[in-house]
Amino acid sequence: MKPFDAHECSQLNELKIDMSALNMLAGWAPTGDILMMEQMPIFGGYTGGVEETTICDVATMIASFVIFDCDIHLDGPIHIRWGTTTTRETLKIAAHAAAALDFNTDFLLANQYYTLAGPCTDMCLLETAAQAITDTASGRELISGVASSKGVMQDKTTGLESRMMGEAALATCGMEIETVNEVLDNIVSLYEKNYAKAPQGKRFQDCYNVRKVEPTDEYIDIYDGVLRTLLDCGIEL
Amino acid sequence: MTAKKYVDIYEAYDRFYEGERVREDQWDYTIVPNNATMIKEKYDISFGPDIIPTDPDLTDRLFLAGMDMLLTTGFYNTDLGRVMYITEEELFEGLKMAPRKLTLGRGKEKCKCKARRGNAKSKPVVQGGPTGAPVSESVFVPMIESYVQEPVVDTIVSGVLNTVDGHPVTANTPWEIKATMAEIRHVREAMLKSQRPGMCI
Repeated sequence: MKPFDAHECSQLNELKIDMSALNMLAGWAPTGDILMMEQMPIFGGYTGGVEETTICDVATMIASFVIFDCDIHLDGPIHIRWGTTTTRETLKIAAHAAAALDFNTDFLLANQYYTLAGPCTDMCLLETAAQAITDTASGRELISGVASSKGVMQDKTTGLESRMMGEAALATCGMEIETVNEVLDNIVSLYEKNYAKAPQGKRFQDCYNVRKVEPTDEYIDIYDGVLRTLLDCGIEL
Repeated sequence: MTAKKYVDIYEAYDRFYEGERVREDQWDYTIVPNNATMIKEKYDISFGPDIIPTDPDLTDRLFLAGMDMLLTTGFYNTDLGRVMYITEEELFEGLKMAPRKLTLGRGKEKCKCKARRGNAKSKPVVQGGPTGAPVSESVFVPMIESYVQEPVVDTIVSGVLNTVDGHPVTANTPWEIKATMAEIRHVREAMLKSQRPGMCI
């Protein structure tokens, strides 16, 4: 790793850390390395409800800076049933926690993306867009993704999901929050009824030409279709 | 009382070492949930239907509630089985230490990560990549290239190899270190092939 890269280490759920993380921090901090501390609070876990999980998330983020001396906090509120960051509840936790810190500190806050659906599906791209819109509008400084298929399926992630993440963020910058909330309600309503039958999607090697590193025509058609859907939802990418 | 200094990682360890002993199940199932519920009621935290909050008073109370949660509950070390605390004054000293901006990457790929305020017109830094998802050795480099070549992507977050040179990667073994080194090498190769060698990992 180079001085212009960032080192990542994790807290544990909730408000916990182990010696391994402390020792890594002790090695990186004195050399001036950039430190990104990660923690993904669990909605429906130890803290239970949306508000309680958000309070714990805010405490966790403050700890990253004031106890562990990190430079960026990498968040990722996750749904205990679905294992994703893109549900209505987890988006609400992420947005409220970020806004609370955004208006009261200058912390550099990041969020990471775990979608339920896999690459080359409408749902995966809609989930990604919803979170990018949420993170941008609530004042986050860095967005990190996308771990499609919950980040657990071999080879089921591709660059096109990151394009959606970035383009959705760009389109959101500067929008009125009331409008953003309407857009988000429209998008989340489209996919939240499909959690139990979310499409698995395709592997990178099945939706990209691996030699040319180009998405297939099928994936580009799906991407274009999602752009039209997002326009109907009130946002033009 | 004014804090003598902010808490650093060494002071944090000393406080853990001398901290109160608590069983981990007590922490998980009693202390953290009970404190979260108590603080929710104390600060009257209740969200409406909107995903992005629009009530500045609510976000201010939420910030105070989060500070209270940390100060009241403390932080738990799972290996030592002990809890450390900081004071409110130390917390405020720590807030001052947090950077407001960072430079990530180098050369043409250098990008600034700096504090935004609300839904600012400046975009967040876009970190593209598999975000820790498992990736086969055979497609690792082209998959990372698929992120590097996206103009909207500023920095890269890697995926995880579950084999290295065909050997399974087992956690907490030298093979895990070897795989991590291979991931970094492969990411740099993908950056070179896409002519963006200065991107931040």
